[in-house]
Amino acid sequence: MKYAALLIFVALLTLTFGCKTRDKNVPVVGFADAFEDATISQARDGFTDALAANGFSKEKHTVDIEYRNAQGSIPTLTQIINQFVSEKVDLIATCTTLSTVTAAQKTKAIPIVMMVSPTLARAHLLDASGKGPSNLFGAVEDLNYIDTSFSIIPKVLKPKSGKLVVGMIYNQSEPQSADALERIKGLASKMNVNIVALPLNSSADAQLVTQSLLSKNIDAFFANPDNTVFAAFETILKSCNAVNVPIFTSEAGLVKRGAVAAFGADIYQWGYQAGLQAAQYLKTRSMNGLKPEMVKIRKRVYNPAAAAKYNIKLPNNFQPVK
Amino acid sequence: MGFYLTAILQALCLSGLVLGIYISMKIFNIPDITTDGSYTLGGSVTAAMLSHQQSLWVTILVVLVAGAVAGALTGLIHTKLKINALLAGILVMTGLYSINLTILGRSNVPLIGTASIFELIHLKIDSNVNSLIMLIVIGITLMATIGYLLKTDFGIAMRATGNSEQMIKALGVSTDRMKIIGLAVANVLTALSGFMMTQLQGYADINMGIGIVITGLGSVIIAETLINWLRINAINTVLKLVIVGAVIFQLVLALTLAIGVDANLLKLVTAVFVLLIVGLPRLTLSARND
Repeated sequence: MKYAALLIFVALLTLTFGCKTRDKNVPVVGFADAFEDATISQARDGFTDALAANGFSKEKHTVDIEYRNAQGSIPTLTQIINQFVSEKVDLIATCTTLSTVTAAQKTKAIPIVMMVSPTLARAHLLDASGKGPSNLFGAVEDLNYIDTSFSIIPKVLKPKSGKLVVGMIYNQSEPQSADALERIKGLASKMNVNIVALPLNSSADAQLVTQSLLSKNIDAFFANPDNTVFAAFETILKSCNAVNVPIFTSEAGLVKRGAVAAFGADIYQWGYQAGLQAAQYLKTRSMNGLKPEMVKIRKRVYNPAAAAKYNIKLPNNFQPVK
Repeated sequence: MGFYLTAILQALCLSGLVLGIYISMKIFNIPDITTDGSYTLGGSVTAAMLSHQQSLWVTILVVLVAGAVAGALTGLIHTKLKINALLAGILVMTGLYSINLTILGRSNVPLIGTASIFELIHLKIDSNVNSLIMLIVIGITLMATIGYLLKTDFGIAMRATGNSEQMIKALGVSTDRMKIIGLAVANVLTALSGFMMTQLQGYADINMGIGIVITGLGSVIIAETLINWLRINAINTVLKLVIVGAVIFQLVLALTLAIGVDANLLKLVTAVFVLLIVGLPRLTLSARND
């Protein structure tokens, strides 16, 4: 009994060694997610669907996708990537910026396909000569999409008084969020729109910060799609609806959850696009022609119920969200 | 085996942190929440300085000073303002978030083409083994330093402060000063962990310290189990076991990942494993004492 704990531990360790028997002909993809989120997880669905459409399906045992989620812990994320590297998986798939950066810094040999990530320049992954890691490809997004999303607001909303005031929440701990805010501020000054922005560091403070923003008499709320807003969106929506402030955003998933309209990437399609590239790699086993690509499918979508509630008439090129 | 080796590397990067937690927790009975902030502080200073092409030695120096200031601040708030140690730590940790963000300039700074402690020695072997040797050297250095410190008159006064504050006061030792210095030392060690981890993972991130105090406490408590179980009193062995505790903690996480449990159950399974390790000897201990 004295050595029971040690024995159990050793037994478990030995169990895990040598139980990894793999069919050599089935390619293995390690999929690393940094955290749990309803909208972000659509990328994984898109990715697996794209692989399946190209003959790499988990059900038919033509590919093995090892899914790991770090639940927001960076040490765990590093361990997950280490595991993929030491297992020598054929391909590492990374979802969101943090996974991408971790993988890119941990391996230069195994190809990495990224999704829901910013351009390499924005992730600061370029070396001194302006080159990114050679093993990195996938679907990326820059900030241009924000312009189009944001410019919808003055087109469809009339200010309550003189100048349109748009409220925003941004997360200081996410690079894309802080970058997006800077960009929107520049944009707003050209459009004669006032921006009121408040920082939010964790979704737990969402209600408080939203209420504080709504007390500043804003005409509309622009939900900048960062991880904190994704997590706390229902709270933000409830508060905004209570005082009749419409929410605009740049991501289709949030429109489904109750924002009025968006023109931007669709997270499912984003994953799908990365999946197509991954399938190409698994077929040819070469990095030829694979590089980070801009997201191709951006959608103009609106939420009919929300638009009706606020009497907002959107241009004809907007589709009702499915 | 490479995967478990990397888990050990991560644990050794945390060796400073667990020694720091051991000092604050076991010696002063203060659960020092500053850890979350000072660990990230070490990482932020490292990333900011290395990416501005500063030398490693200057960076280490600044990291040590920054950690000491953070710890001393918690000590000052706790002793001089008579604020609960837990709250003092929480306050400093919360304030450090903004300071770390200011130092980093953005939330995530990857290190590309910068100096690294893992490239100080170049043996013609696998780079992981190279890192392992480096980390073992650093770990032994830290252990020896802290072991020596705790054996000096000053160190014994420090340990006595935690054991019996009234007695040591009666002997004319300033317990406030002991606590401030102790917390400063603990956070220097923690910041050093941030310094090592940032280079191991290749980036600093504003959220890297979230929950790290729990990892440290878990490691120390695993070590404590071993210490009680093996009935050890020698401080040097105790410090060794504290680092072994960190290694076990990380190996448990690695094991959970390797088994491939459902992502949602990851933390639960890790917790159950740790419970097994800590709980089983307790059962045997109580049998021994009955």
